[in-house]
Amino acid sequence: MSDLDRQIEQLKRCEPLKESEVKALCLKAMEILVEEGNVQRVDAPVTICGDIHGQFYDMKELFKVGGDCPKTNYLFLGDFVDRGFYSVETFLLLLALKVRYPDRITLIRGNHESRQITQVYGFYDECLRKYGSVNVWRYCTDIFDYLSLSALIENKIFGVHGGLSPNITTLDQIRTIDRKQEVPHDGAMCDLLWSDPEDSVEGWGLSPRGAGYLFGANVVSSFNHSNNIDYICRAHQLVMEGYKWMFNNQIVTVWSAPNYCYRCGNVAAILELDENLNKQFRVFEAAPQEARGVPSKKPAPDYFL
Amino acid sequence: MDGGVGAEKDLKEAGAEALPVGRCGIRIKGWTIESCKRPILGSLALREWEEKLGTSHLPEMVFGESFLNLVHMESGIKIHFNAFDALKGWKQESLPPVEVPAAANWKFRSKPFQQIILDYDYTFTTPYSGSETIELNHEKPTSRDACHSPKWDDCEERIDVVALSSKEPILFYDEVILYEDELADNGISLLTVKVRVMPSCWFLLLRFWLRVDGVLMRLRDSRFYCVFSDDNDGRWPDVLRESCWREATIGSLSVLA
Repeated sequence: MSDLDRQIEQLKRCEPLKESEVKALCLKAMEILVEEGNVQRVDAPVTICGDIHGQFYDMKELFKVGGDCPKTNYLFLGDFVDRGFYSVETFLLLLALKVRYPDRITLIRGNHESRQITQVYGFYDECLRKYGSVNVWRYCTDIFDYLSLSALIENKIFGVHGGLSPNITTLDQIRTIDRKQEVPHDGAMCDLLWSDPEDSVEGWGLSPRGAGYLFGANVVSSFNHSNNIDYICRAHQLVMEGYKWMFNNQIVTVWSAPNYCYRCGNVAAILELDENLNKQFRVFEAAPQEARGVPSKKPAPDYFL
Repeated sequence: MDGGVGAEKDLKEAGAEALPVGRCGIRIKGWTIESCKRPILGSLALREWEEKLGTSHLPEMVFGESFLNLVHMESGIKIHFNAFDALKGWKQESLPPVEVPAAANWKFRSKPFQQIILDYDYTFTTPYSGSETIELNHEKPTSRDACHSPKWDDCEERIDVVALSSKEPILFYDEVILYEDELADNGISLLTVKVRVMPSCWFLLLRFWLRVDGVLMRLRDSRFYCVFSDDNDGRWPDVLRESCWREATIGSLSVLA
């Protein structure tokens, strides 16, 4: 058994790798990812997954439902880390699978694959807690810069974490972005990872936060038409039912973190496409408590004031 | 965060009983105190709420079927906490939006051909401090004030923090999230209510908590406190409510730090 296979087995048991192993794994991953395009081509059949957010045991449920990699070909739409308890193990397992089976798993970047966001929402603290230093966080966030920004399945389905950008009308414009950098605060690369479709908007809407775009049905129609694609598959937003079509089936949100943050009670979904691009959503629930390795503890009542 | 009732022995000593199986709560000294924690609303229910509230924007996680109820059985007075009433408060207050730090740079972006600027309060800040009604469908119809909502009067009395600091056994404890939003990864907005019931009193804290990363923190607390009395036949129970609103910019807080 090779070192890599052994590491994959170890990660599947939710045991993190040694710091030196993470460093070596990230170097190998970098060599593979640097060759990928900003619009990474993906062949069908493929199974598309949305946000995971460090919910390792729920990702194991996902693999139970969708099948193991490499038998199943996977596309993950980003947001592997933050918020859940096991961002380290989750991301490293996906990365190790990427290095082992580069043609059977595609990882694209979500807005959480960023230095700034991971310092606020959990991944940074988790690395520090599990390794006693931030080196692993550094290796991983350096790898984030190499992740592709989007995927194109059989030239017909466009996969992206967030959505569209007013600066982008053609896929070729995405191909010209220099992606090897921290996610910027504005511009096309930022929009692809951050923006959302919005029912109440025609054209473009600016979020009341003063940053962040929302896009309406007509924006999606013209993008799909110009690029000759059937629909957009994106993640980024929690949907109680695991997936949600909008704008007359021109865009679908796929969400793969069941019982999000361990309290929302939502189901999750993955989208299976066969070789003819026939769709099947597979809906699944969170891993049962006893499969999580940690016993459920009722915290002592709190004498709050 | 899972709540529940305390030890059976403590309950018995206090003359309290747990609610029947399938419900979470306690009966004690003429009060029924019950919590219910359910999953977030699905797409269909959200649409209904949007219509009822007259908005097309709701928090990402609305725990619309979760609640905390405190019913005084003799008077029928019910103090309750739910997301719907809290969001009515949000809609009514309609604070102007808070800009995030990145907004400064966005002003220099070239505007798309067709652009509108949304201007609702995405922080879901609410002045909500609980709901109160009188439950009329009790075995014993109340004799007076039956058709009035109970009302709050100003008073000098304060919540007895010293009494609350004594380590009486907690007979029932729970925390219920009413709604939560991640502000699209720009912070957190959270409305929760937690309660603890002791042999001599109950105490609860309703808290709206907001952090807009790099901009501000906002806290709106309402505390409720009720000392059980043995002889309030027919009288309304005395419940104290204290509210406290605080807000500070991150800038001013980092100067302090």
